[in-house]
Formats: sequence, C-alpha cells, structure tokens
Amino acid sequence: MRDANSFDDFYRSTSARTLRYGYAVADDLGEAQDLVQEAYARAWRQWGKLAAHPAPEAWLRLVISRLATDRWRRLRGWRLAASRSGPPADVGPPGEETVLLVGALRQLPARQRQALALHYLFDMPVAEIAREAGVPTGTVKSWLSRGRTRLAELLPGVVSEELEVNDVA
Amino acid sequence: MSRELSGLYRALAADADDRALPAPDRLRGRADRRAHRRAALGALTVAVLVGGTAAGTRLVLTAGPDAPPGPPVASPDEGSPSPTPPSVPPTPGRSSPPPPARTPDTPPRTSTGPAGSSPTSIPDRAFFALAAANDAGTGSTFGPGPVLPALCGATPGEAGIVTRRVRTLAFKLATTPQGYVPDGSYKHSITVYRPGRADDALAELRRAVRDCPTRPGTGDTAGLTSTQRLLPDGGYGDESVLFEVRRPATDYEGAPEVREVVRLVRAVRVGNVVTVLWELGWEGTSSPRSQVDQDSRRAVDAIRNWLD
Repeated sequence: MRDANSFDDFYRSTSARTLRYGYAVADDLGEAQDLVQEAYARAWRQWGKLAAHPAPEAWLRLVISRLATDRWRRLRGWRLAASRSGPPADVGPPGEETVLLVGALRQLPARQRQALALHYLFDMPVAEIAREAGVPTGTVKSWLSRGRTRLAELLPGVVSEELEVNDVA
Repeated sequence: MSRELSGLYRALAADADDRALPAPDRLRGRADRRAHRRAALGALTVAVLVGGTAAGTRLVLTAGPDAPPGPPVASPDEGSPSPTPPSVPPTPGRSSPPPPARTPDTPPRTSTGPAGSSPTSIPDRAFFALAAANDAGTGSTFGPGPVLPALCGATPGEAGIVTRRVRTLAFKLATTPQGYVPDGSYKHSITVYRPGRADDALAELRRAVRDCPTRPGTGDTAGLTSTQRLLPDGGYGDESVLFEVRRPATDYEGAPEVREVVRLVRAVRVGNVVTVLWELGWEGTSSPRSQVDQDSRRAVDAIRNWLD
C-alpha cells in the first residue's frame, strides 16, 4: 500500500531542488515544472516500492533526465491534465544571468548538462555523479571538463573554475 | 566583469525557487486520475477487441447475422490524455529501481471519512499549533522515529496501523522571553488505526507501562535506571493514557546528579486515531505538567477539527 504521508514529506523536502535540476537540464522553466511534476507523478504511482528505494531522489533525477530528452512525446498526458486546472500563476521573468546560462546550456549535450547540474547545484563529487549516471568517473570528468570549456566559450567573462572537477574526484 | 559559473547556477536556482509546484495532494490527485483514465481506456480497448472478435466469429460461423449489430463503440478521443506508456524504470547508478506498477493503484481516500471509517492520510492541519506564547519559533520537523520511549522491549500500538506521521517541535513556557532557548520539546505523533484497533493500542500501552516499572538505561543513559508508572488521567479525547518516565539527571559530563528528570507521555484516542505527545525536554529540563496538559487539549482539538 502506498503511504501518502511519506510521499508528501518526500515531495515537500525534495521538490525545490528537483525543480532546480529540472531547469538546468531542460531549457525552459515552465517545461522544467512539467518535467518535475511528471516525474513525481510517476514516483507516486510506484511509491509502494520506490519508498524503499535506496536513492529515490536519484531515481527522480534520472526520470527527469530521460523525460527531458523526449519531453514532448512523454509530457503530452501531463500537459493535458494540467491544462484542465487552469493556467499557471504569473511569475516574473528570469534574471539576466539565468537567461545567459540557460541559453548556453541549450548548446551542450544532455549528459554534460546533467553532470554540470549535479556538480554545481548538488555539490556532488565526481564519484557520486558517476554512480548516479552509471558510468566510469573518467567519463564524468570528461563531461564536466568539456561542458565547462564550452560554457566558457559561450559565456564571455565567466571564470573557468579549473580545479573543481579534479579536486572533488 | 568576470563571473563564476557557480554564481550563474546559483542565479538559476534562485529563479527556479520562485516557481511554485502544486501541493503534494494535488499532484497525487492528478496522477491518480490519469492512472484511472488509462485503466479505463485499457478496459475499453479490451472490450472492443473482445466484442470485435466475437462479432467477427459470429459472422464467419453463421450465414447471416441473427442479432442486430450493437452500437458502434466510440474510438478514444484524440483530445483525451494520452496515457504515457510506462517506460522501463530508470536505474540510478547501480542500484536497482523498483519495477513499474502494472496494476492501477487505488486512489487515496479522503482523509476525512465518516465516523467509524479510518482516514488513510494525515494532513498538516491535524497537528496542533502551539499557542503564540509557547511558540519557540523553531517550527516542526516531520520524520521517522519512535513515538514512545523504550518500554522493556514492548511495542504497544504497532499493530493495525493504517498510517502515521511523526513530528518534533520545541516549545517555550509563556513566561520565557522570545529568543531564549526552548523549555522543552515534543515528539508528537498521530496514528490512524483500522477500526477497532485504536483502543487495543491504548490497552497495550497501559499494559506495557505496568510491565516495565524499571528499565536500565542504554547508550547515553547507560548505568541510569529509569522508572515508569501510569498516572491518573482523564478528560482527553475518548480515552487517554498518561505515564511518566523518571530517571536521575546527569551533569554535562554524564555523571548522575541528585535531582531527577521526569518525562511525561500522553496518548489520547479520538475514534480510530491516537495522538501521542512525548515530552523530551530541552537540555535536561523536566516536563512541565500544565504545559503538557494544555498542548494535549490543543492536540485533541486539532484532530477533532480535522475529523469533523
């Protein structure tokens, strides 16, 4: 039986940072909201088993990553369901720095976006990112290195924090 | 002007934080409605296939239709939500994810059922709010954990549970100025039992306290024996159990002191719901009885308001 209370507690305690992650791997905040809600809806459908999962938040992020790569087809059901509850509340536009970053992230491969998001938003060491992605640590280092290099090219004036990737390994 | 990448990500996080996500109960409701629609669509598809097969068979086996054809079955509306076929569940890292649920789950029933039925979820509003004069300003923290002190290995009230939520909150006495350290704290739980099991839980608790008059301490209280005893109680909910746990106080180095620390624990039943206020103190304080009584009443009122 699914325990609504434990799901609600999980949702309340993780949804804000999950939305940050969704924003960093998608290229639009509205879409990130859809992705995140879809991921939590799937989590709720499987909550009876997912509640005992050793890393349910990592599971969520992986769902979001996969949805982000095929979002239009997979999100159709959620969008239609959400549209019945009216338009979302008005919110202000994102800040200039966010717009610049998101614009640059759009030009990066998905795996690099995901690795960078885990590193910068969750402060995850390389080994942990590798575990979550199911790849060797060398691959993660490569994603981070290439991602940062590309962002530095796309974002003039951004300081390349050279040592971070190797330091956290 | 140079910027750091980490600063840009912080800006992105701040912008994301401005966006609100729906409340968890709304999200669950939407997810369940979608699951039901998908189940209904699946049943409809099966019916169409079975009906079509049967009709086709009859057409083949008979020279002519004996019965008039049934009404056409509408095809699924293109505008209805397209059920997303559950993909193979992703695998985070090397850990194995749970397999996707293949059968539609039953929707969560409303948490405010009629008298005699048991709610299946406990909303925040079921938990009482401290009086303004007692609010230590530290809020509540929900999480897992025991809802009763150790009672010689007994586990009263652990059978017949439908759902449970537990929180920890600190309080101050009304005479303590704002900004001072709290005067005590509660482990506050609400447990919903299957019909008829909540009074069993309280009976088990009474028996467990009676059967555990003394208990040797463990961990931080190793070497210190606590005594437990039931106290006369009444006037809270449908029935209540109040007991105290008394043990020698310790100084900052863990050595026993002359004085004692007394902890009060009250369990109150309201229908199929039991709420327990376990006063845990704050840096060695004992439980102030009048405060525990006052907060017990507030706890009962909040549960009654929820269930009404």
